[in-house]
Parts: sequence; structure tokens; C-alpha cells
Amino acid sequence: MAIDKGASHPQMRRMPDFRLVSPSKSKDLLVAIAFLLPAFAFLGLFVYLPTILAFLLAFFNYHPGAPTNTFAGLSNLKQAINYSVFQKSMVNTLYYAAMVVPGTLVLSMSIALLINRVTKIYSFARTLVLMPYVTPAIGTAIGWLWIYNPSYGLANAVLHVFHIPASQWMASPYMAMPAVAIYSLWHGIGFDVIILITAISGLPSGVLEAAIVDGASAWTKFWRVTLPLLSPTVFFITVVTTIGSFQAFSQIFALSTGSGGPEYATTTTIFLIYQTAFEYGDFSYAAAMAIYLVLGIFLLTMLMRWIGKRAVFYQ
Amino acid sequence: MLLRLVRLIRAIFAVIVGLLFLVPIYITLTTSLDTPAHVFTFPPHLWLDFNWSVWVRTWHMYNWPLYMFNTIVIAISTIAIALATAVLAAYALTFVQFRGQTVVFSLVLLVLMIPSETFLIPNFVIMAKLHLVDTRIAQVLPYGATAFGIFLLRQFFLTLPKDYFEAAKIDGCGHLRFLWSIAIPLCRSVLVTIALYIFIGTWNSLIWPLMVTQSPRVQPIELALATYLTSDSSDWQGLSAAAMFATIPMVVLFLVFQRQIVRGISRGEGIRF
Repeated sequence: MAIDKGASHPQMRRMPDFRLVSPSKSKDLLVAIAFLLPAFAFLGLFVYLPTILAFLLAFFNYHPGAPTNTFAGLSNLKQAINYSVFQKSMVNTLYYAAMVVPGTLVLSMSIALLINRVTKIYSFARTLVLMPYVTPAIGTAIGWLWIYNPSYGLANAVLHVFHIPASQWMASPYMAMPAVAIYSLWHGIGFDVIILITAISGLPSGVLEAAIVDGASAWTKFWRVTLPLLSPTVFFITVVTTIGSFQAFSQIFALSTGSGGPEYATTTTIFLIYQTAFEYGDFSYAAAMAIYLVLGIFLLTMLMRWIGKRAVFYQ
Repeated sequence: MLLRLVRLIRAIFAVIVGLLFLVPIYITLTTSLDTPAHVFTFPPHLWLDFNWSVWVRTWHMYNWPLYMFNTIVIAISTIAIALATAVLAAYALTFVQFRGQTVVFSLVLLVLMIPSETFLIPNFVIMAKLHLVDTRIAQVLPYGATAFGIFLLRQFFLTLPKDYFEAAKIDGCGHLRFLWSIAIPLCRSVLVTIALYIFIGTWNSLIWPLMVTQSPRVQPIELALATYLTSDSSDWQGLSAAAMFATIPMVVLFLVFQRQIVRGISRGEGIRF
């Protein structure tokens, strides 16, 4: 289900590994098979098989209900890469990630440093910051659509107070994607704040006190001590947010009222895949696009791992 | 004195930041409860009017209890199947010794590395072959095994002292009995967290139900909202009321289980939707 939030989490590494030796090995093998079978029946049918099918689909011309499926070779993949909307969707996806990932890092760090206290007032603030994270995307996006309403919305009212010209928000091809990114930050940041607060409370207090005793300013202390100590967590958040922003669908569907517009401005690759398959019925073409998306996510993960090995400071 | 002032300002600032996160949900609530004269005003009207007529109208417009029932049935079935398969598999990967255990475990970890986009379309094709398109079962089966749950439970089982198992074995306790009366009670908190995340995930799921269902009879609540939003995007008050129907249960669930949800995230048990 979705992506893994914890496999690469620093706290979850290297647990003690012990195996129990049993005299009756053949009986244990039977037990193991019986216990593993249910899980692997589901994984086999709905994960491993579809993964293979995903590649097969892209190389055939499959239409639901058609009697025969003709071999298409690379034509779907070639057609997709030359399709202008698909190219735009990839740019849109990167643009969205380029707003959400840095936004998440800066905002979650600022909020975590602010509310990182254990008194009641701060845990109240923490509750409110985390609440959007569990709310349904369409439900809350409806409220945001109203906030973004060009004539009656709160967003323009706030701009008005600061004498900034009103924006068309979701109706403008230029502002639509930033508006989606703002929504996503609001919805998802509580998760990252909690992760950071947990990491901050686990920092060795001696080091931080030593920095204060040595006369370091709050600013120096943050950049020279706190941030380097937190770098594994910051790295974890970066990886997870990047992958998550490549998979964003609900908020885009909701805020563009199912259109991906205006003028394809919010058509991300995952949205286009959905549209191609289920609005235009072209499964193989959509599968070809999905292969590019999956390869993109895979390469990016590899790249980030490579960077992480060099840039992250593990204690 | 100065230090106290700084502390006070910081606390006030923290509360303001927290309240800012509440604003969008609050706005949805006020819009749905506005008297008609207060809806289309600029600057927006921010006080509660408690005009419940829109809620009543919207409640009767769609069959909300049915959508909620569908969502809960799908969620509970998924939780039951996923927890059962995960506990059994995690147990076998920790307490039962057999050759190839490492290979089997890496097959589980492999699942975590495949983005879910990969199998959306093929899974639809599989559901079509199984004649399960437009059913509730089709919304349960793909989540019948949670690789992440297996991973978490195995991590937890590994922290249990192996003396427990050996002592039980000497007393003549078999695998099933040990699993049922010792391992499961001990890992209850992990199970609760996994169940909560599956429930929230089901309540908020959109793309897979959007693909695999057509009729309201089997659709979850987010789909009802999606249908409403795409068919009548200018009925602001009605939409806001409908949004509250979907949001309020999650807010209540969050306030009740906040501790478990926070613990889930900070332990890395969370799954981002």
C-alpha cells in the first residue's frame, strides 16, 4: 500500500537478528509454507503479476473487451515520448515536486523548531498542525477551492489586506500548480513536523549544551550543530516527499475538478495516465506512460541514495 | 522578565501557526452553515450562522449512509485480511526456521520498492478477468497483504526475547498456540497502528476506486464527493456540507487516536496517502 515510510528510516536499521534452531526441520518448513502462503497469494496476484503485466501491456495494443491483442513493440513508448501533453505532464510533475519538496523542508523545520516543547500549549499546536494529514483530500480540497475563489475567496482577501493584486488561482494557468502545491503543503506537512520533532527530542543534549556554553548564537547552533545532527532525518523527508510528490493525484483531481486544467496546467503524469486509461480507454498507451513514470521514480531514488551516502552525516 | 516575554510570544506564535492550519476546515464549516446572504460576500464572512438547512438538503441529495457503510465495510475487510496475512507471514519470517528465509523476506521488501502506479492499470485488467469490476471486493483484494505491515511486525517480533519462545516450546506449545496466545497479544499496539492507517487510507482513497467502480452501490465516500464536485462545482454550500460529512469522522478519529497516530509516524509506521 502506497510507499514505504520507514524502510529507509534511520531508527529502523539493524535490529538484533536471531534465529531459533528447531530440531524438526521438515515440520517447520511446512509451517513456514502454510503461514506465508496467504500473504504471498495476495502479493503474487496483485503485486508481482501486475508488475510483469505492466510491461507486457505497454508492448501490446490492449483494449478491454477486444478479442485479440496485437503486438505493438516500442510504438506505444515512442508515441508517448513524442506526445506534447505527455511532455508537458512530465514538466508539470517536476515543477510540482520543485515547489513541494523545498517548501516541505523549510516549513516543516521552522514549525518543528517552533513547537518542539512538551507543554500543553505546544501539544495543542501540534495537534492542529497534524490534523489535515488524516483528512480526506477531496473533502478538504473543496474548502480550499472556495478559499481560492477569485471573487469571494479568503486567499484574495488576504492579498487585498497586503495590497497585493488579486490572483485567479485555480483559474489561472500560471497560479494553478502553485495553488495545488500550497494545498499539499498544508495537507502533508504535519507528518514531517512529527518526524522532525521526534528526531530533535532524540538529539544528544550534551552537544547542544556545549555549543551554548561555548557562546554559539542560536543561528550558529542551528546550522553547525542541530542541522548536521538531523541530516539523516532531513534526508529521509526529502526522499519520501519527492517520491510522494510524483504520486500526487487526489489533490490535483479535486482542485482541478477532475480536469487537469486550466490548459493542462495541472496535468501531472499520474493524472494523464489515469485520464488516458479510464477516460479515453487506451490502456496500453497509459501503461507505456506509467513505465516512464516508474523508471523516473526509480532513477531519482537511486540518485538520492547516491547523494545521501555522501552528504548525510550519520552519528 | 525578558525571558518570560520571549516565552509568551513564542507560545502565542505557536498557537497562531496551529490555528492557521485549522482555517481551511473552519471556512468549509462556516460556508456550509452560512445564511444565503452571507455566501457570496467579499471579504468572506467568517462567523458561524448555524443555518442547518443546507446540511439537511445535502444529506438527502446523496445516499451518504450507504457511502459511509461501503467505506467502513471495505476498510474493515481490508484490516481483517491484511492483519491476518501480515501476522502469519511476519511470524514465519521470525520464529520459524527454514531455508530461503532471507530470500523470502527480500521478496517482501521488493514490494516496498515498486511504486503503486506500476500496478494500477494491470490490476484493473486482472479485476476485469475475475469479473470483479464494480464490486467492493475489488477494493479490498489488492490490499489483502501489506508488505509494510509484514516488515513492521517482523521488526517488532525480532525485539522479543527468544527465551519466551524457548520456554513455551519446552512446555509443549506449538507454533499456532504461541502465535495466538503470546506473539499477537504482545504486538497489539503495532496491530492497532496498522489498522488505523488502513482505515484512514481507505476513507481517503480515490484513484483505485475511481478506476474500478462505476455505481454508487459499491463506492466509498471520497467517490461520492468526487462525483458531486465534478457534476456541480458551483454549489458551494452543498459541496461544503458534503465535505464536512467526509471530514468530520476523520477529525473525530484523529482526536480519539491521536497518540497512536503520532506514535505510528514517529516510529516510521506511517504510510503517506
